[in-house]
Amino acid sequence: MAEGFRLRVCFRKAGRLRYLSHLETGRAWERAARRAGLPYAVTQGYNPRMKVAFGPALPVGTAGMREYLDITLTRFVPVAQVQEGLGASIAEELAPVECGYVSPAEPSLASRLTIAEYEVELERGVPPQELERSLDALMRTGGFETEHKGKQKFFDLAVALPKEPEVMSDAGRAAVRMWVRMGPHGSLRPETFMSAAIGPGRPVAVTRTELFIEDEQGWIRPL
Amino acid sequence: MNDVWERVEPLLRQVERPARYVDREWGVVRRPDAGYHVALMYPDTYEVGMANQALQVLAARLSTLDDVACERVFIPWVDMSAAMRAHEVPLFTLESCTPVAEMDILGITLPNELTYTNVLEALDLAGIPLRAHDRGETHPLVVGGGPCSHNPEPMAAFFDAILVGDGEEALLEIVASHRASMAAGLSREESVRALAGIDGVYVPSLYLVGDDGVVRPVDDAPARVTRRVLADLDTYVSPTCPVVPYADVVHDRATVEVLRGCSRGCRFCQAGMVYRPVRERPADSIVRDAIASLRCTGYEELSLTSLSTADHSQLEEVLRRLANRLEGTGTAISVPSLRLDSFTVPLARLLGDGRKAGLTFAPEAGSQRLRDAINKNITEEEILTAVDQAFTAGWRRVKLYFMIGLPTETDEDVTAIAALVERVFAAARAATPPGERGGLRVAVSVSTFVPKAHTPFQWDGQLPIEEVRRRQVMLRQAMPRKGVELSFHDAGSSLLEAVLAKGGREAAAGVEAAWHAGAVFDAWSEHFSLARWTEALASAGIDAAAYAAEARDRHGALPWDHIDSGLSPAFLRAERERADRAETTADCTFGDCTGCGVCPGLGVDVVVAGGERRG
Ligand code: SF4
Repeated sequence: MAEGFRLRVCFRKAGRLRYLSHLETGRAWERAARRAGLPYAVTQGYNPRMKVAFGPALPVGTAGMREYLDITLTRFVPVAQVQEGLGASIAEELAPVECGYVSPAEPSLASRLTIAEYEVELERGVPPQELERSLDALMRTGGFETEHKGKQKFFDLAVALPKEPEVMSDAGRAAVRMWVRMGPHGSLRPETFMSAAIGPGRPVAVTRTELFIEDEQGWIRPL
Repeated sequence: MNDVWERVEPLLRQVERPARYVDREWGVVRRPDAGYHVALMYPDTYEVGMANQALQVLAARLSTLDDVACERVFIPWVDMSAAMRAHEVPLFTLESCTPVAEMDILGITLPNELTYTNVLEALDLAGIPLRAHDRGETHPLVVGGGPCSHNPEPMAAFFDAILVGDGEEALLEIVASHRASMAAGLSREESVRALAGIDGVYVPSLYLVGDDGVVRPVDDAPARVTRRVLADLDTYVSPTCPVVPYADVVHDRATVEVLRGCSRGCRFCQAGMVYRPVRERPADSIVRDAIASLRCTGYEELSLTSLSTADHSQLEEVLRRLANRLEGTGTAISVPSLRLDSFTVPLARLLGDGRKAGLTFAPEAGSQRLRDAINKNITEEEILTAVDQAFTAGWRRVKLYFMIGLPTETDEDVTAIAALVERVFAAARAATPPGERGGLRVAVSVSTFVPKAHTPFQWDGQLPIEEVRRRQVMLRQAMPRKGVELSFHDAGSSLLEAVLAKGGREAAAGVEAAWHAGAVFDAWSEHFSLARWTEALASAGIDAAAYAAEARDRHGALPWDHIDSGLSPAFLRAERERADRAETTADCTFGDCTGCGVCPGLGVDVVVAGGERRG
C-alpha cells in the first residue's frame, strides 16, 4: 500500500445540521466511514487515526450544498458502492452528493479550494431594489473596515470578492449570491459583508453553495 | 404533540454549541405516532448527559415496547435557558421537539447531589409545578431514579415516584402500570398510588416523617422500599446502537458494561455498597456486544465499563479477543479506572496497544493505616509495582485519586499522601527511559470525604470546612512540585454534597430556595456559590456547616431507613467499628461471604463469568 486510493466525497451540511461545527462535522464523517465499513487507511504511530482531510471550515449555522472531504482507502471500492454505503451510514442532512477518486498526489483540499460561492437569504422586508442600491454603494467604495476580535480589519473588495455579488428575488424574498476568495489569512464572511452593506442585525440564512479550485483555466469543481 | 422547532431555531443563532439542541444524531429512534411518550432526562448539559450509560440502557429497554416513544431531555446551558425564557419557549425533548409538559412521563436520573437544582430548573422551564402535590391531571408523572435514590428525601417532594435500584425491568413495569391506569381512566393520584405496588418504587406522598425522624407509610404502602436488583446482567444485551452525538461529549465512545457491582468493600463508597452483589457478564457476550456496538456506532474507541473493570474474571481473555478482532482499525480500548492490585503486565500490554490514555488509580489514602481503616485493600508495594509495570509498558501519565477528611484521618495520614506521591514519581521515573522522562506526569486529584447513606461511614460527620482547608494547605506544602500536578476539589461543593447526602425531607425547602436564588449547574465551579446555598439552607432552618459536620448515633434513626438497600445495619455497624481498629474485610466475589446481607435479603447471588457462583 504505497499511497492508497484517495476518495473524494462531496457532501451537504443542511437542515438542522448546519448548526454543527467543523469539528463536529468531521467527526460525524469519520464515524460514518467506519459504519459504512470503508477500508480506510490509518496513520502510523502512537495514536493511529483515520487518514481523512476536509475542505475549508464552514461556520456553525452556515449550510453547505457541496462540501468536500478526502479519505484514503487501502483498497479500491467502486464509486457507486462507496456512495451507497456512506449514504446509508450518515444522517440525511449530511448526505453524500457525489464521490470520486482523485490522484493521491493532489494537494490538500484546504489549500486548493480558494473560491466559495454563497447564497445569503434575507428576512422579508428588504426590497430587492433597495438591496441592489446598497450593494452597489458598498462595492463602489472599494473596501470597508470592520472590527474583528477587537482589531480593525480592512477588506479590499477587489481582492476579497472575485466577482460582483448578484441580487436575486423570489416571491418577495430577497437573496444575494456572492463569491468570496479564501486564503491563508481568512476570508470575508458573507454576514460581515452584508452588515457593511445594509447594516448590522438583519437575520440572514447563509448557504455555501459551491467551492471551486482557481487555476489558469478558471474556476473548476474539485470533482 | 406540538413541535416547537420553529420557535427553538431562531434561538440557536445566539447560543454556544447549538449542536446540543438539534437532535438528528446517528442512532436516534423517532416514534412520533406512539401512543405513549416517555422523556428521559439527565439533569446536566447534553455533553455530560450523553455520556450516561444508564440512560442508554433504559432507552434501549423502552425501545422494545410497542407504541412507546422514548425521547431525551437535557438541561439547556444558561445562555439557552435565558433565551428560552425571554421568548417563552418551553423545555423540549430532542427527538420530536415537543414540550416536556406534553409527555406522559418524565424520568429523571439523579446522578449526584450537585444536580438537584438542575432538576428544578428543568421542571420550571417545562412549566411543570415543582412540587408533586401541585401538579394537575395533564402534567406528566415525574419519576426519579439513579444513585441518589438511596437517600431520596431531600428531593422527595419534587417527585411523584422514585425508583430505587436497577431499572431494566422496573421502568417497564412503571410504564405498563401508568398505561393501564390511563386506559382505566384513573386520576393522577390513583395512577401514582398504583406505582407504589411495584417493587422498588417509592411514592413519597404516601409517607410522612414522624417527630422521631422516621419516615413511615400513611396507609398500606410498604414500610420499607426494597431496592430492585437485576439477578443476571446477561438477561439483556448491552445497548449496541446508542445515539452517537456530534458534539464532543464527556465520554465519546462505545461502551459495554462488563459487570455491575463491586464488593471490594471500600467503606466510604456508596456505589460499592448499594450495587452489590457483583454480577459479571460472560466474555462471549461482552465481545459480541462490543463488536456490534462499534459496527453500529462507528466509534473509534471502546470502553469496558463498570465500577471496577479490572476485577472481571475474564478481562484478559476479553481484551485479547477484542484486540484480535480490531487489529488495524485504529480502535482504542479503554478501561475507565483500574484497581492497582489487579493491574498486571499482560493487562498493561493489552491496553497499551490502543491509544495510551493516561492511567487512573485510586489509592484514596496515603498511609497504610488509613487505607486499612477505609478497607482499601492495597499495599504501598502493590501500588509501586503497578506503577513500575505501567511505565515499563510505555505509559507516561498516571492520575492518582486521594481523599481528605476520611474518618480517623490524622495530620500524619495527610502528609503520607505527599510521601506516597513522591515514591510513585520515583518509581515512574525509574521505569522510564532517560530520554522520555520529560513527558512524565503524575496528576494528583484530592477530594473531600462526603458521608453517604448505606455505607459504614453513614453516621460520620464531615470534617469542618476550615479544617479541610488547613489540611489542603498542609498537603500542598508537603507535595513534591516537580512533575506533579496537584488539584483539589472545591471544599465548598463537598460541604453542600454532605448536607444533601445526609439530609432529610426538610432539605427540600433549602434546595428550592437555592434554586429561587439562582443556583443551577452547581457541579460547574463557575456557577457554584456556597454563600448562596448557606443562605438558602438557613432559610429552611438548616445550618449547613453544623449539619454536614454532625455525627449521628449509630443506633438512632436515619432519614433513609425506609429505603432497604439489602445491606444489614449490623454489617454496616460492624464495618464502622472495624474501621476504628484499622481492620480490613475481604472481597466476597472470590472469597467467602462476609455477611453484608444483600444476597439473602434480595434473593440474588454473586455471578462470576467463569460460571462459579457464590452467595
Ligand atoms: S451477601 Fe455475602 S456474597 Fe453477597 S454481596 Fe454480601 S458479602 Fe458478598
